[in-house]
Amino acid sequence: MRIPIEKDHNFISEFSNLIHSPDQLCDWKLFKQSYQIAETLKIEDFDTLVSPKFLPHLTFLPHQQKCAETVIQEMNGRALLADEVGLGKTIEAGLILKEFLIRGLVQKVLILAPASLVNQWALELNKKFLIPALTAGKRTNWQAANIIITTLDTAKREPHRSAILEQNYDFVIVDEAHKLKNHQTKNYQFVQALQKKYFLLLTATPVQNKLTDIFNLISLIKPGYLGTYDDFLQLYRDQKKEMEKDPYLKQLISKVMVRNRREDTGIEWTKRKVETIWVEFSEEEQAVYDLIETIFQGVQAFSSVTYKREFCSSREACYLSLKKWLESSESMEIKEEIQQVMARIEQLPHHAKALKVAELIKKSDEKFIVFTEYRATQIYLQWLLKQEGIPAVIYRGGFKKGKKDWMRQLFQEHAQVMIATEAAGEGINLQFCHHLINYDLPWNPMRLEQRIGRIHRYGQENDVTIYNLATKQTMEEQVMELLYNKISLFENVIGQLDQILAKLEMKNLEKEISQIFAESNSAGETKIKMENLSSVISSMVDEQVGETS
Amino acid sequence: MKLTNLHQFLHDFFTIQDCAVREETEHTLEVQLTRELDQALMNRPFYWHYMDKMGQQGVPMSLSLNTSPEKLDDQKEWIHFGSPRLQQIFSYIQDKARITLLYEQTDGEMKTSLLPWLVVNVKMEYFGKQKKDHIQSIGLQLINGTMLTNMMLKLDSLPLQRVMSDYSYTISPLIKPSSGFYRIFQYFEEKLSNEDMYWASDAQKALEDERKLLEHFFSKNDDLSDLYEQELYRVKERLEPKISLKVINAGLFYLSENTNASIISQ
Repeated sequence: MRIPIEKDHNFISEFSNLIHSPDQLCDWKLFKQSYQIAETLKIEDFDTLVSPKFLPHLTFLPHQQKCAETVIQEMNGRALLADEVGLGKTIEAGLILKEFLIRGLVQKVLILAPASLVNQWALELNKKFLIPALTAGKRTNWQAANIIITTLDTAKREPHRSAILEQNYDFVIVDEAHKLKNHQTKNYQFVQALQKKYFLLLTATPVQNKLTDIFNLISLIKPGYLGTYDDFLQLYRDQKKEMEKDPYLKQLISKVMVRNRREDTGIEWTKRKVETIWVEFSEEEQAVYDLIETIFQGVQAFSSVTYKREFCSSREACYLSLKKWLESSESMEIKEEIQQVMARIEQLPHHAKALKVAELIKKSDEKFIVFTEYRATQIYLQWLLKQEGIPAVIYRGGFKKGKKDWMRQLFQEHAQVMIATEAAGEGINLQFCHHLINYDLPWNPMRLEQRIGRIHRYGQENDVTIYNLATKQTMEEQVMELLYNKISLFENVIGQLDQILAKLEMKNLEKEISQIFAESNSAGETKIKMENLSSVISSMVDEQVGETS
Repeated sequence: MKLTNLHQFLHDFFTIQDCAVREETEHTLEVQLTRELDQALMNRPFYWHYMDKMGQQGVPMSLSLNTSPEKLDDQKEWIHFGSPRLQQIFSYIQDKARITLLYEQTDGEMKTSLLPWLVVNVKMEYFGKQKKDHIQSIGLQLINGTMLTNMMLKLDSLPLQRVMSDYSYTISPLIKPSSGFYRIFQYFEEKLSNEDMYWASDAQKALEDERKLLEHFFSKNDDLSDLYEQELYRVKERLEPKISLKVINAGLFYLSENTNASIISQ
């Protein structure tokens, strides 16, 4: 076959012009140095990664290096990276980017990351990979920026949108690929329209559940690889096939997707120790809890589930929420009763669970991260800990970038405790801490895994201890006993859970549980329904474990 | 001619650039930069602009480097093969050392004639699914057309200088340097035509496969024809095999008859 050969004709005219200008000429030593540099930097062969040699201060894990090799050599730089949380997808993407930069295949790069991760990307690329990446500001000049990090939301908004779509990117990385599952969204169409040579999608939420999700993601990476949307639907929807059960499809997908799981990495992960700490309400507290239950029992339209849950967390959370209900509700039905409850809440002493947390932390010199579902609880806990002489910082997903970084640093260097709400589950790494308190349990095990993933990830050198607090004789006891303990969720890595839930056609476990509580007429009924739910889940966990091992 | 001793390389570089070495140990190097290097490396254009405006000389900075393979916990800047500083120095050298005109130093009082050689260092870049490079140093004698490979190694032991020694004189080329370049490119083309191009067939096949996929994917949707063109362009850019011949640097070298005889017979 004939291969086009480009020759450096410009050099010939440059040479003829400059050979007569002595000040443009160099001496032998410099001439030789330049040649030596070229010899040193040349890419010896097609396959071996050259970038690790340029990053002597980094050690890559075998699965990370393998991932970069696979993406570059076998997938030609277009792939879906779907490692489980905490295995270092950013590191893998950084290594791939570095390799392409060194090989001179890539100059212009666009990275789209969640707002909470933009700074971390910049930090990792600059500090670890020595890649001069910038974060986008208000007046970013997209044409001049060579390696730039921003959010999908910023990028798809005018005036940025048009400017970005005009650029020829050599490499685009999207680190929020779950936002691209639906091909009819603006997000999807924007990313599809980007001009890009190499392309990586990163996701921690495995997408194998819904075949159309994975179809859409893969069609961004390699249009046509899985056929057209209609072809695909016809083939797979009709037969209700699942990817796991279709070896052909599975194999196809494995050529554009890298998915490492903890157990495949061969790394010794530190252990998880789980401790359940039971709390008992004081008599007054128990009375208020029961009162909330009774008040709502007669009312068909409202359920006490939310308020009871809040009450288990803190007086404040429940109080504020009841107050809000009073202000917005038009029904007069139980107004008086609610006001009565609120008055009784005002009289309560400190919350039993909060006191327990303070006691637990006080006994230790270690750092703790405490997760709660409610902001009111978050602030109350901070105040209570302060009374006990324990310095604590708070952290929320809604904080601005700078504040988040600052809080993380305060926690690392000064405070003993970080109190975070759910939104903080994604995006920060806190490997320096190895004690986690679930002040209240989320009813969605995936969220629980994300919480734990903040500290139990690569780089954690200690065993991780997880304390779960639950209040006796409340819904918490039921969720703990009937759900979490039954499916031994804490010990298992939850990787497969979302697949199981999908099989059960149960997208939102949290809703499911709320419904069980709301619709059951007696404690006995709740118990039976919860037991059914957990036994189904745990039998599927067993099945899954059997399949994969 | 790979660079193996980075410390020595940097020491040589700064010395060639007339920078005084202030302190040096096995793995550290502190140099006083000249104004030129300060401007090239220290990234402070406003300082120099300001000094020039004020009619002041300005004080170039000094650079304190740690050249060991390990990062040390001290004030010195760690320089290694991936570090931005070294990249900067490399590109400075590559920019300054594109072209040269050198004469072999001769001694004695005998009249000596010097014969012209065109030396061209070429990087061949192979773009397939991946990329690799191959480097060759070619010397072309511009009187009789002798062509040699590994020319840099052959020149390395010679005393070469920017000015001609007394009593030496040059013989004018019979082959013009520009035609010399064409001969050298010609040589590469012939050489390449005998190489096994399996990598190019691989890339071509991958390209063909992806092109078919694209065609199928977009076939049922005429609205997306722009997108199809764009994707196709990008696939080609990624996979179309090609070779590029880039000149690293080149020079005109005048060498004595003795040297001519000895390097040709080597």
